[in-house]
Amino acid sequence: MIRYVAMRLGIAVLQLMALAVVVFFLIRLMPADPVARLVGLNASADAYAQSERALGLDKSVGEQFIAFLGFGEGRGLLQGDLGRSWVTGEPVAAELMRSLPITVEVVSLALFVSLLIAIPVGLIGAARPNGLVDRGAFMWGLFAGAQPDYWWGLLFILIFAFTLGIAPAPLGRMDPLIIPPDPITGLVLIDSLVQGRLDIFVSALHYLALPVLTMVFTVSGAIVKMIRQNTARALNSDYVLYARACGLSERATARYALRAALTPTVTLIGIFFGILLSAAVTVERVFSLNGVGQYSVRAILDFDYPAIQGAVLAVAMVALLVYLLMDIAHAALDPRIRE
Amino acid sequence: MRRSIPVSVSKLMPPRGFLFTFGLSITLVVLFLAAFGELIAPYDPREATTAIGAPPPPLLEWPNLLFRQLSGQLETAPHWFGTDFYGLDVFSRVISAPRTDVSIALGGALFSLLLGTALGLIAGFFRNWLTGLLVRTSDVLQSFPVFITAMVLVALSGRHTGNIIFALCLVYTPIFLRLTRAEVMGQSRRGYVEAARAAGVPPWTIAVRHVLPNSLVPALIQLSVTIGFAIILTAGLSFVGAGVRPPTPEWGLMISQGAGDLNYGWWWPSVFPGLAISLTVLGFASLGHVLEEQFR
Repeated sequence: MIRYVAMRLGIAVLQLMALAVVVFFLIRLMPADPVARLVGLNASADAYAQSERALGLDKSVGEQFIAFLGFGEGRGLLQGDLGRSWVTGEPVAAELMRSLPITVEVVSLALFVSLLIAIPVGLIGAARPNGLVDRGAFMWGLFAGAQPDYWWGLLFILIFAFTLGIAPAPLGRMDPLIIPPDPITGLVLIDSLVQGRLDIFVSALHYLALPVLTMVFTVSGAIVKMIRQNTARALNSDYVLYARACGLSERATARYALRAALTPTVTLIGIFFGILLSAAVTVERVFSLNGVGQYSVRAILDFDYPAIQGAVLAVAMVALLVYLLMDIAHAALDPRIRE
Repeated sequence: MRRSIPVSVSKLMPPRGFLFTFGLSITLVVLFLAAFGELIAPYDPREATTAIGAPPPPLLEWPNLLFRQLSGQLETAPHWFGTDFYGLDVFSRVISAPRTDVSIALGGALFSLLLGTALGLIAGFFRNWLTGLLVRTSDVLQSFPVFITAMVLVALSGRHTGNIIFALCLVYTPIFLRLTRAEVMGQSRRGYVEAARAAGVPPWTIAVRHVLPNSLVPALIQLSVTIGFAIILTAGLSFVGAGVRPPTPEWGLMISQGAGDLNYGWWWPSVFPGLAISLTVLGFASLGHVLEEQFR
């Protein structure tokens, strides 16, 4: 088991390094001019050259890459330094430490709620194929899987916030008048509980309800479908047939099938976490959440290269970490994986 | 030499059922609008009218209004979907948008299909270190966060139609490559391939004339679904400001601008374009689902 984890961890680190290299060269291959974006089109040649020097863009791409990795005189990626944002001047790592938890919180909450709904619905669908629940879930999956989340987010705001008035206006992740709790984990739900601030906890839940609903709405159909398929496959398998043939009760048979059906679901959690991280870009925009999605939009539109590199790496790192955790959980549940 | 066709004749009959009719009609309407939407629009989709934030007429008056417009009793066409903050006619913009959204999505999906099947065929039929590298590269591409990758490519290369299509290609080609490669590897073990080899047919001819036609089905099924996703992605890019530029009539751009109008209680500038995306993508998804059931 330890060997398996170590091997997976090593692969994840290599993937991250490869990604860093690809992103670095990809954005420099593009015909964008970040200096002109910063100094404006009417800037004098002097100002342009000065700005170019300040950003380090006067050096060759090779020298820039060495500086980015941290082999030069300054600190770089190998020392855990992502550089400073060209627009705000702040260290990218610090900015990401603020925005990443917001995204992780919304995405985890959305995934948790989706699973709460999807697991029972998927199981019922598999137990009674073509039953009412099964057909309903199928239509739901087909419909919701084809929906733009950014539009449904707006519709939910229109319905629940502006018309019914039961949800707050989309102004972030808690009441703007509340002073946020001291960041411990950066996850406001956990921080407020740890510090015994129930008022913040309730406010945050209230504000996160609609973004979470939007994500659950678009992603749960697909999760139901996969759980149903896994369960149906397990129910049709030889070992369930064998268990039945041995005269085990339906209840005991179901327990065997359930374990076999839900084990692959653990892997699905990782995949859907990745999908939701991508969806977060548009959903955060709709609900003015200052997560890593909004951060990357800002960075990309400003041609802020260090911030783009940092945001892509941060998102990929979270996704890889979740994949890794889920694979380890899968291996713990299913000994065949470890071989 | 005759090609072998594994699909039985019954499968070639057109499928029936509600989902198929629904999907096909939506697809046809959207393709029609992509070609002629701007021509039949009652107002210029880029030109502001004097009505600012006019609400759409109540649903009950629609038949009456339609009759009067068609019989030429109205001097100016009604704003069926209202007008937005700039006075642009929402209906004209909604039906002109497929020109942008659908052609970008269609272009991206078709290029991905072509490139993905070609590379998938090569990677599946000729297995060596070079094609192995190709598959690994495609795996790495597939593991990128889709939306952020597309944003980077489009924003940094310039927000033009061609660049958006290119970004879609990079995001969707790996899917087609993987699908085709798997199918080609399955087909290559079949007897007819061995027979052709034994008859002395050169490998490239076997690959293109015999294996390829038999390996196209999964990719073709995937095409419909991909067009749908590509529409959501294209509109999503302009929604966050990394897609086509205003005042191009485009659904995502309209939703993004209409979001601000919600503050005045004007729901129509954002609701109608969203409805258009929702129906269009649902149409392509239904069609994809029916085709999958039919041919699998």
